[in-house]
Amino acid sequence: MKKTISTLYIALVMLFLYLPIAALIVLSFNESKSMANFSGFSLQWYEELFRSRMLMQAVGNTFSIAIISSVAATVIGTLAVLGLSNMKKKSQDIILAANNIPMLNADIVTGLSLMLCFIMLRLPLGYGTILFAHITFSIPYVVLSVRPRLNRNTDRLFEAALDLGASRGYAFRKIVLPELKPGILSGFLLAFTMSVDDFIITYFNKGEGINTISTIIYSQVKVGIRPSLFALSTIIFVVAFAALIVVNRNSDRNEVAFNL
Amino acid sequence: MAELIRLDNISKSYGDNEVLDELTLTVEENQFVTLLGPSGCGKTTTLRIIGGFEKPDQGRVYFDGKDITDLPPNMRPLNTVFQNYALFPHMTVGENIAFGLKVSGKSDQYIKDKVKYALKLVNLKGFENRKITQLSGGQQQRIAMARAIVNEPKVLLLDEPLGALDLKLRQEMQYELVRLKKELGITFIYVTHDQEEALTMSDKVVVMNDGYIQQEGTPEQIYNEPENAFVADFIGDSNIIPGRMVEDRLVEIKGVKFPCIDGTENGFRPGQRVDVVIRPEDIEIRPYGEGLFNGTITSKLFIGVHYEMLVKQEGGKFEWLLQNYDEHQVGSEIGMYVRPENIQIMHKPQSDDEKRMNLEI
Ligand SMILES: Nc1ncnc2c1ncn2[C@@H]1O[C@H](COP(=O)(O)OP(=O)(O)OP(=O)(O)O)[C@@H](O)[C@H]1O
Ligand SMILES: [Mg+2]
Repeated sequence: MKKTISTLYIALVMLFLYLPIAALIVLSFNESKSMANFSGFSLQWYEELFRSRMLMQAVGNTFSIAIISSVAATVIGTLAVLGLSNMKKKSQDIILAANNIPMLNADIVTGLSLMLCFIMLRLPLGYGTILFAHITFSIPYVVLSVRPRLNRNTDRLFEAALDLGASRGYAFRKIVLPELKPGILSGFLLAFTMSVDDFIITYFNKGEGINTISTIIYSQVKVGIRPSLFALSTIIFVVAFAALIVVNRNSDRNEVAFNL
Repeated sequence: MAELIRLDNISKSYGDNEVLDELTLTVEENQFVTLLGPSGCGKTTTLRIIGGFEKPDQGRVYFDGKDITDLPPNMRPLNTVFQNYALFPHMTVGENIAFGLKVSGKSDQYIKDKVKYALKLVNLKGFENRKITQLSGGQQQRIAMARAIVNEPKVLLLDEPLGALDLKLRQEMQYELVRLKKELGITFIYVTHDQEEALTMSDKVVVMNDGYIQQEGTPEQIYNEPENAFVADFIGDSNIIPGRMVEDRLVEIKGVKFPCIDGTENGFRPGQRVDVVIRPEDIEIRPYGEGLFNGTITSKLFIGVHYEMLVKQEGGKFEWLLQNYDEHQVGSEIGMYVRPENIQIMHKPQSDDEKRMNLEI
């Protein structure tokens, strides 16, 4: 009895979580343009998606921005963690607190203030400003995920390497960096997903004539969403799902859980 | 033997916690020196200063006559077996052991042979490709030892390397360590808080407490002639009792006068208050009335090879700790005798400053 209830409960939760996505996927293969009825299987919306230059450009922008910004944020954030470890405990605490605030900040505030900042500096809004904004909001996440990996244990391993005759640089590359790797990787993935996901901050900082997936979907809401967007969303979901499986496999092997 | 390492007047504090206070210590070539003391007394800190991981606030460290105080750890001809092993988790056992050799640019063949040899030394043949996480605590300790030994350092620093082992394996490894030391001809500086371990393995034992050296000497000296109550207490089960010198070669403890071998010539004047150590195994049981004093056995415990008894002194409240191979019944009245040479008389610890003066003699 208890078992059936718990199974039922899980099933319900799953249903709530995945029914909307299932609906999206099904409708992306719909023959008609209807948002309510499935009239037959077709790939026409996928075709339309790949034909549309506007959509493909948005996809390209989204992913190029995500890759560049997450790589940059990962490098900057990791270096910040290393720098932090050499500071006094008190300054560390202050900087870490400062690091946490932007994450709690509402996106709309971050987006607006970045925009004001760019305008004040007379920087034309566009690809560059989106990129800069994404790097900015991603760094705290990288710091947050790399920092716990640099602890007393890594200090001891570093000392052991020095003890065995390694130079500081060699000990860092061969011993400390591999220890930080899982943190760096999950920081990178976090930054990447945050960037792909972001709408509000991008919207305020993109200027005219450039779109990412999220902003283009928003702009189409006004004129009516075409099912080719369902197709696009389906592809993104499948890619993200596959990525998550790969990452989890990897982290099982490395004995660190990947918790987003 | 030649002096190899000298710590000269080393002081070290963390914040206002003074961990080492003007510590001076010499280690001779090929010696097995053990730093012995309770948890938190500064053993690891001393070792870290020798290894170069910690800078002393004051004082110098000499190696082979050269001042190495400012030399970074990777330039020092010593290797460490860390208290927490500090094995590299993302490397195999073989890669861990090879690390030091690789850094110093040895050939692949040489490294392979050496790793094999080191694993054989620590009784873990064929473990090259194991992961660190697949090892038990004891195996990890032995790998940590192998990783240090392969580099053939002049000095090996070992920080409680047998702490995680069970009694049997620990005794085996103690034996192994002494053998290794003989075989490799290197100097060992060994840290432990296990007095038995210290006494069995070392050429020289340094008893520490609160950042001071309480006494240094051979295991026999430390055991038989503890210089103060701390050492006597730390080194083994003892009766440590305050007493008073009556005259040369006679000391009074708990109202009983014991003949002893100390007197004015080694600083114990008649009338002076002293501490007296009597080891439980040195109290001989005689028939009632035939010893120096009498008592009643109040409890008895069989601990392996011998019996441990508490004996309440006749006409008093004091209970003596005795060890004897023969069994005696609780409640029986016995006489007790202690040979003069087994009575160890010590100066009373006075102020901290005086304690230090004593140490520096
Ligand atoms: N990095 C540090 N920062 C602050 N205090 C420290 C530090 N390292 C050690 N201490 C303090 O110094 C004192 C001596 O420490 P140490 O590690 O030398 O003790 P130990 O004799 O090795 O003890 P154990 O037998 O428990 O290993 C302790 O009081 C400890 O709290
Ligand atoms: Mg210690």
